[in-house]
Amino acid sequence: MQITIDHKSFEVKEGMTLMQAAASLGISIPALCFREGIAHHPSCMVCLVKDLDSGRLLPSCAYPVLDGMNIQTHSHEIHEARREALELLLSDHVGDCEAPCRRSCPAFMDIPEMNRLIAAGRFKEALKVVREEIALPLTLGYICPAPCEKACHRASIDGSVSICLLKRSTADEGSRLYSGLAPAVEKSGKKVAIIGTGPAGLSAAFYVLRCGHHAVLFDQHKEAGGLLRYHITEDELPRQVLDSEIEVVRLMGAEFRLSTLVTKELFDTVLLREFDAVIIASGREEKQISDDFGLEPDEYGLKISRTTLEAKTRDESDDRDGRDDHSLTHQQRGIFACGNIIRKHQMAVRSVAQGKAAALSADHFLKTGKPGGVHQLFNSSFGRLKEAEFDEYLKESPSLSRLEPEKGFIGGFTEAEAMKEAARCMNCDCRKPVSCKLRIYANEYQAYQKKFTGPERKKIIKSVQHEFVIYEPEKCIKCGICVEITRAEGELQGLTYVGRGFDVRISVPLGGSLKEALIRTGEKVVEACPTGALAYKINHNEKRRDS
Amino acid sequence: MKEYIETIHKAVDNIVASRGTPVTAVIPILQDIQHEFSHLPEEALRYTCEVTDITQARIEGVASFYSQFRRQVTGEHIISVCTGTACHVKGSLLVYEAIRREMKLNQNENTDAAGVFTIDKVACLGCCTLAPVVRIDQVTYGHVMPENAGEILADFLKRGKQLVKVGLAAAPTSAVKGEIRIGLGSCCIASGSQDVKTELEKTVAEAGILVDVKQVGCVGICNQVPILEIVKPGENTAFYARIKPEEVKQVVLSHFKPEGNYRRFKSRVVNMFENMMADEAPRSFRKYMFEQRDTPLSEFLGPQVNIATENRGIIRPCDISEYRKAGGFEALKKCLNSLSPQDVIDEIKASGLRGRGGAGFPTGRKWQLVHDQAAAEKYIICNGDEGDPGAFMDRMLLESYPYRIIEGMLISAYATGAHNGLFYIRAEYPLAVQRISEALQVCQNEGILGENIMGNGFSFDIKIFEGAGAFVCGEETALIASIEGNRGIPRLRPPYPAVQGIYGKPTLINNTETFSLVSWIIRKGSGAFACIGSGRSKGTKVFALAGKVKRGGLIEVPMGISIRKIVEEIGGGIANDKQFKAVQIGGPSGGCIPASMADLTIDFEALSEAGAMMGSGGLIVLDENDCMVDIAHYFLSFTQNQSCGQCTFCRIGTRRMLELLEKIRNGDGVTEDLEKLEHLANSTHAGSLCGLGKTAPNPVLSTLRYFRDEYEAHIKGHCPAGKCAPIISYSITEECIGCTKCAQRCPSDAIAFKPYEIHSIDQEKCIKCDICRQVCPVNAVIIS
Repeated sequence: MQITIDHKSFEVKEGMTLMQAAASLGISIPALCFREGIAHHPSCMVCLVKDLDSGRLLPSCAYPVLDGMNIQTHSHEIHEARREALELLLSDHVGDCEAPCRRSCPAFMDIPEMNRLIAAGRFKEALKVVREEIALPLTLGYICPAPCEKACHRASIDGSVSICLLKRSTADEGSRLYSGLAPAVEKSGKKVAIIGTGPAGLSAAFYVLRCGHHAVLFDQHKEAGGLLRYHITEDELPRQVLDSEIEVVRLMGAEFRLSTLVTKELFDTVLLREFDAVIIASGREEKQISDDFGLEPDEYGLKISRTTLEAKTRDESDDRDGRDDHSLTHQQRGIFACGNIIRKHQMAVRSVAQGKAAALSADHFLKTGKPGGVHQLFNSSFGRLKEAEFDEYLKESPSLSRLEPEKGFIGGFTEAEAMKEAARCMNCDCRKPVSCKLRIYANEYQAYQKKFTGPERKKIIKSVQHEFVIYEPEKCIKCGICVEITRAEGELQGLTYVGRGFDVRISVPLGGSLKEALIRTGEKVVEACPTGALAYKINHNEKRRDS
Repeated sequence: MKEYIETIHKAVDNIVASRGTPVTAVIPILQDIQHEFSHLPEEALRYTCEVTDITQARIEGVASFYSQFRRQVTGEHIISVCTGTACHVKGSLLVYEAIRREMKLNQNENTDAAGVFTIDKVACLGCCTLAPVVRIDQVTYGHVMPENAGEILADFLKRGKQLVKVGLAAAPTSAVKGEIRIGLGSCCIASGSQDVKTELEKTVAEAGILVDVKQVGCVGICNQVPILEIVKPGENTAFYARIKPEEVKQVVLSHFKPEGNYRRFKSRVVNMFENMMADEAPRSFRKYMFEQRDTPLSEFLGPQVNIATENRGIIRPCDISEYRKAGGFEALKKCLNSLSPQDVIDEIKASGLRGRGGAGFPTGRKWQLVHDQAAAEKYIICNGDEGDPGAFMDRMLLESYPYRIIEGMLISAYATGAHNGLFYIRAEYPLAVQRISEALQVCQNEGILGENIMGNGFSFDIKIFEGAGAFVCGEETALIASIEGNRGIPRLRPPYPAVQGIYGKPTLINNTETFSLVSWIIRKGSGAFACIGSGRSKGTKVFALAGKVKRGGLIEVPMGISIRKIVEEIGGGIANDKQFKAVQIGGPSGGCIPASMADLTIDFEALSEAGAMMGSGGLIVLDENDCMVDIAHYFLSFTQNQSCGQCTFCRIGTRRMLELLEKIRNGDGVTEDLEKLEHLANSTHAGSLCGLGKTAPNPVLSTLRYFRDEYEAHIKGHCPAGKCAPIISYSITEECIGCTKCAQRCPSDAIAFKPYEIHSIDQEKCIKCDICRQVCPVNAVIIS
């Protein structure tokens, strides 16, 4: 039979679905509840397409092709309908994509992952995770005000996890600080000038070097470190700690031109001519240089592009200090800025975060000729934990209160202490942050989770009786794929829908446990579940979290 | 404990022995288990899975889907408070709360401490003209007011075991001098007709009168029941409306002379029930003569046209010989003897008949589609899963005209080549199930069902499937799922049931009313049918007229009649001199049409354009005291509760809409909420999978369209109709005479007992139960 999809008429076989027909034209349609080879009822309604003859929206995953149909798969109306389906699902999706600690970290450090590695005694790998976002883990381990700890879900139970000290512990041990520094990429031959050697400048240099470019840091002071050296006392931050982290940047290949004030002349004749990009990280004290260099200022300092390059997910607060979703590029090509020169607040971790963002934007510019911001992924979040949920969250971690290091704060954790404290992490992050289809499409369709928020959210439950599967029903979108798998595979108990309407849930029949329900289908249902509702438990055969 | 388990196993063994072991038996098995234990003991479910093909996943999925099934032990008696539309607008929620207070229940309990009563809300008991209605086990109480809560519980307990079982009167044998007809539909019984009938039979027996006391089906004049019709040769037919048992004797003796020993009968204690028939009309009976004009009866019956309800109030529902005498089975005979299946289909097509279930799909085309399928096995299903709150047409038709519906099904089976038929009837309609099964049995015995029907070589069989309480099963694919032993989840169409229906076989599903029109069309010809009605809507439509109208009841009117004529002539206008505000047509899928549009005619297209829907035929009249935001909230909470939970827009969308309505009703809404609500309503309409979700927004959209000002008033913190509890308050005016009635009845002690002083209400304590306003003799309690 003949049908038309997006103005293309072609021959299709009877029995095909609209989605299959579209796929044969290379048109992909999003779907959550559909999985090849599994009998299903369309439910998510994210795969809607439009029948132009009747004007109706049809679920393409199950709707059969009919002779003469005229189908549209992309339009504003379809986009809106799909987005709304996602927003409705999200309004009933009680879960955090990223843990609240990570979301509140200006550098967006993957704290739960670091904690899991520390708890397993894998400090080197934990340091690697930290360095993905934070160039100065040791330094920040002393001076960071740790907004993450205030956001930690465990803060309201028995004290937050001691995240800041744990981060320090990853780099604390002798030579570990100097491990894993070699950049994995080939040298680009491009040169980046960085003005300022405070937290922003050092961080920018660290990531510029990791991207394979050459970094030259300019500072009018005799020693590198900026505010870290000249503002923070030695009691707060021992100088050898700072020195060793500056040493890390030097070991990576950075060139320091100290006692060098960047004048307008130097800027124009050397920086702009000899370098492929300039990152201004000169801090607030030297703000006047923006005027001297003829660069346009704004109320926050140097005027930079704060507009989002890629769509910013709308559930993130519109933060003027935004961490990494801005290109941090000045309107003059090749000039980037980060740190206190572009904002009022002073928090080292934010400068460190911006240093990385400016470096990545510069890197993007050097590779493509256009600055690029780091795209902030969609994040589902549900806010505060309720008291009734404490026990659910404690199911996967020991009931210990916050551990204070025996040697005191400055002394820090011993490795044994760190492992014990890190195990207190409740793993609030989703175990499928990358493969979760709800997140992928929420991102793609710019869904706003709070659009249809109800007056009360459902209570979170974590079902952990199974050897390696964890089930969090409030993340479930009721697609029934797992129900169908257990049925087809002949599980004696299996899973079933219980109840109906808004309160329908997927559960083990007759009050049974997950252990008996998933005797041979545990892996299959985890792999097939489109969200993080069914996932592997922590440290199950290393399958803990997808990436 | 061990003994208990053995009892369960034994009971399940017996049930399975009669129901069989296939998965399709799951719903009947669960119904039987519940019948046995009044709930579903978990052990019974587990054991059922051991001895049948039913899996644990299926039994749990099904048992938790249908609202009929209970998992908790209940009290000895079940109190069902009807929350249908008519009951809702007459204050059923206040009744529910009052009974709960009487039972001394805490927030999450629904069984009293002694385990005597369990209370539940039910969607609709289909006795809309008696609203508000409460049913305790098999006893139905009508016109219940919150203040009567204690009395009905006491009355029920007093009645004890002397409950009446509805049976069939034996046909008379000897020569009789006339007929005394009494309607015994569910409503009539709920109005006390059974007691009247008992009294009638007693009188006739004691007086030795040779008269046929004839139990007929629903007479439709629900507002006048119990009603006696006395037909005597040589006399004009007389109607006695709202008759009470103690008045029966007088009436009978005025028409018939006693022939045997006449004994004075004992005075009878008037039971609570009749006292509660508290209408504004006088309580004593009224007599109307058949030919009399301008009586409530003639106004009510005059504009009606009886096709589905032909011979209304004249024939015994299950008496096949009476049905035959009135032309029954002639249409079937005509089809079998002289028409080919295609001739029959052409006749139905020519009549212009469209499905009466709501959507109005042309019936002939549906039949043609099934006819054209090559399959050897085909099915006919009569959809009697009437779930709309505020509709009871199907119930009345099933109870009163079982043979007519069976004949319609037989004709459709002949036309389409089907040999298996099924009645799908709501579990809430026990009398309908009883009458249909009796009628089926009679048909079997008479050779009208089974092999070689009427000696014509055609075979057809009909079984009954009792629904288990899910509104969504009125949707044909969900209905099929439930017959197949699944959760009642609609599936995507195509394929349509006509092509792939039950067990994958071509299946014709028509609504009860549709089937009941078929024999008339064949008998009288398509032309006779097509000349009734207007535009593309032909023939008649049965409506359940209820709400704030003077005369509610079951009516059959020609298509094309105006809403005004229905409300003002048939219904006699608005009760209590209130202002006519709107009619709600089509139940949860329909919409509200304002009084200003009362000249709109009843026709599929006209109603859709106005934002309502024919629906299955609930027609609730609303007056100035009805809040349109509350009405929208009411319907949406119904559909939201009945959503199967499958697709995103219906499962979550209707919930979010309801939350917005709640916010507005509570006076917490903001202007943007209206846009948000409208937007979400439109996307839920566009994105839902089945008809339930697609039409669920209609009550919201139509009230937003015609009564937006009321929504806006709520946003400003004011409910113009004085209905929405969170933003209204009760107070007492200077009119108060200090009689203390309100103070005595106030359940929360919000009114101090101060005789001869003007009372006042403590707003902190007031729970807005409305009792003070109802009991005040001088209307001194006002809502602001």
